[in-house]
Amino acid sequence: MLLVLVGVSILTFLLLFLTPGDPAETILRQQMGGRTPSLEAIEQFRQSEGLNRPIPIQYVDWVTDVLQGNLRESYYQETPVSTLIINRIPATLELAVAGMAVALTIAIPTGIISAVHKGKAPDYLSQFAALVGVSMPNFWLGYILIIVFSLQLGLFPVAGVGGLESLVLPAITLGSGMAAIVTRLVRSSMLEVLDEEYIDTARSKGLRERIVIYKHALRNALIPVVTIVGLQFGYLLNGAVIVEIVFQRPGLGALLIDAIFARDYPVVQGLVLVIAVIFVLTNFAVDLTYRYIDPRISFGGESA
Amino acid sequence: MEDSITRRTLLGAVGAGGFVSIAGCAGDSGDGGGNDDPYSSETKTGDGSSTDNNSSSGNNSTATGGSANVALSMDPTEGVWQVYGGVSPYYTNILEPLIWVSEEMKLEPWLATDWEATSDTTWEFTLRDSVKFHNGEDLVAEHVVWSFEQVLNEWSYAPGWLHVESGSVTAIDETTVEFETSDPFPTFPGTIAHNMIAIQHPDRSRENTEPIGTGPYQVEQRTQGQHVRTSGFDDYWNGTPSLDELTFSVITDPNTRALSLQNGDVDVAFDPPKSRVEKLDSNGGTNVTTQLSPGAVYVGCNIYKAPMDDPKLRQALNYATSQSDLVETILSNIGVPAKGPVAESIFWSAHEKLPAYEQDTEKAKQLVEESSYDGEALQFHLSNQQVDGELLAQALQQWYDEIGVNVDIQVTEEASFEDTVRSGEPHLILESSGTNSGAADYLIYETFHSEGDVNERLYNEEGTGIYNLGEEVDQLIQAGFQTGDQAEKEQKYEQALQRIMEEAVVVPINYSEYIVAASDGVSSMDLRPIPEMTRWTGLQTGQ
Repeated sequence: MLLVLVGVSILTFLLLFLTPGDPAETILRQQMGGRTPSLEAIEQFRQSEGLNRPIPIQYVDWVTDVLQGNLRESYYQETPVSTLIINRIPATLELAVAGMAVALTIAIPTGIISAVHKGKAPDYLSQFAALVGVSMPNFWLGYILIIVFSLQLGLFPVAGVGGLESLVLPAITLGSGMAAIVTRLVRSSMLEVLDEEYIDTARSKGLRERIVIYKHALRNALIPVVTIVGLQFGYLLNGAVIVEIVFQRPGLGALLIDAIFARDYPVVQGLVLVIAVIFVLTNFAVDLTYRYIDPRISFGGESA
Repeated sequence: MEDSITRRTLLGAVGAGGFVSIAGCAGDSGDGGGNDDPYSSETKTGDGSSTDNNSSSGNNSTATGGSANVALSMDPTEGVWQVYGGVSPYYTNILEPLIWVSEEMKLEPWLATDWEATSDTTWEFTLRDSVKFHNGEDLVAEHVVWSFEQVLNEWSYAPGWLHVESGSVTAIDETTVEFETSDPFPTFPGTIAHNMIAIQHPDRSRENTEPIGTGPYQVEQRTQGQHVRTSGFDDYWNGTPSLDELTFSVITDPNTRALSLQNGDVDVAFDPPKSRVEKLDSNGGTNVTTQLSPGAVYVGCNIYKAPMDDPKLRQALNYATSQSDLVETILSNIGVPAKGPVAESIFWSAHEKLPAYEQDTEKAKQLVEESSYDGEALQFHLSNQQVDGELLAQALQQWYDEIGVNVDIQVTEEASFEDTVRSGEPHLILESSGTNSGAADYLIYETFHSEGDVNERLYNEEGTGIYNLGEEVDQLIQAGFQTGDQAEKEQKYEQALQRIMEEAVVVPINYSEYIVAASDGVSSMDLRPIPEMTRWTGLQTGQ
């Protein structure tokens, strides 16, 4: 786990220094409203931010700071990176969780119906919908939803954060892509499980079909789904970047985009690290839930 | 977390009740502070006709308060504005500088009524009487000194930019401030005619994000990364703000900005996407206004690199180009066909007096034949950040091909573009210029003077340069740069630009415009060439 974090941080550090564009000049130009900064100003900036030193030394310095809980200060915003992230995290988490909720609400029932009615109309319909959902670019769906639900029906505000109503459209935009993936997964996983002999056994005991499907089949079918959903949570944070821009939600994604364009290195590095931590933690949480869903899985390896 | 509510300390109670009665005179006082030039932006309404959005001389005195919401693409609560209590002076009119900039890009006395150079390196500014801060206190010289100290200490580049060190701003008496520049700096007044150099009250709070300025609107509520809500300041020195409440919302995505306007969530949206302009204009309910900015786009010819050192070839490129075609097609009519490298909105652009190179392919062909051009491919460089840059370059490439001139287009990453230009490698360069302050002088000085930023390196190393014609033009630019007299400045710069265009140092393309979309009810937007300097004092929403 720690290895992943170290790897991620080294990689972002290197990538940043490989991207063309001098942060000193870019930041100063932005701060000065587009005028070209003088060479002295650029040199002074490099000196004060330590950008003249060799990259490995800069990296070690940064890691030392991070280990002491200091994510440094944004070049452009002149605010501690940790403050920026803490300010922005609620909007993103809210969106990711809501997106996830939308995805699961759509995907699990559709996937089950699809599997149970395999090869019939509901199956084809849901498969088609899933295909559309996967193929549709996030930002485009966002605009479509705005035009239909905000402009024409007047149900939701176009953009911004606030009450539940401003969360609905972004959550649908974000969740739809994931819903499509999960639907297909639930379907295939259910089909596999429905072929198992213990399902035949359950049926032959005379259990009602509903109990067979929801109690015996679904529970087993959900194991791979949970894995993917856990992994997908990380990707939701990715998708949030675009959705946050379209719906003007001040979250981590919007912050990341701004920082990359501004060559605001401390913010990019800090954010990538935080996102990596979230990834690692969700994966860990996924491992833990296995045990709850399927008691046969254990971490000791012998008590099965 | 950083949200906070700023209360109007003195006027909160009085405001609401007294507003309706005061509002009657709002339109009359306007906000231009004695502008004699009519407001010049053009409004295209749904049926294509033009209406005048004039505000500066308001005959319309029926203001009755109301509220408006303005969508900006920039975030006025960004951390860089902590020095001003966390709210940007750009666009918001909360804080004001000593000097404002007029429709003609002239310096407009604002919090300072007068200024003069008392020696090569000292300036004396006289402050306006009875200007009140939002906390009710009068503006005095000490506040100006304090405000400059804040800026000089906050931004490491500020002393170099303003040519003023911390400690060299002094209050002579209650209404007189003296600035000592670190070297002779004739464009000092224009340089500080900039939103970023605003005057604030020392009681403003960084921690609680409470700005205190002198503008027509004062901050009521600031929500980090989302919006700044302001209310009209009844004791404003330059007219009474027409609105009770004015909100600035951050909407970074251009499409979402336009959709928010269509939905009625905001009343004004800056810079909607070009592709939606027509829709916004023909839709019921919204219209689009374009306003000339102090920016221009042109092709620069490196006159020291063969074969571009031949004026005939440079003139040929000018005769091969149709500015109006470029503006109509590629720029979708956003922008104005140019005759020179300096935006028409700047009073010394010499637009009227410059030679016109009407498109004439035959004449261009003939000039190419007479020139020293031998068929080699010219290197045409542009930045990847240049809006519509590649399309413009391709159109030009095609025209130049027709007159027998080969052009290779090379797109350079913005961060290394300036360096490529200064190295003198390219033959042709797609340039764009602009300014955020009243000192547009640098547009001509840095580009066309031998010691300007662009030419300096090669001039010092090899005695050449890029765009500098030499002695005669240098002297004209120098004279215009040195003088504080606007008429003399105009005359000198115009002569310099005439020489530059006769010698065809550049191929002009367009003067830039920016776009503002608004609900039909909105009137009296006082747009300025510098969009960040838009005045909102007279804004009406017709509700």
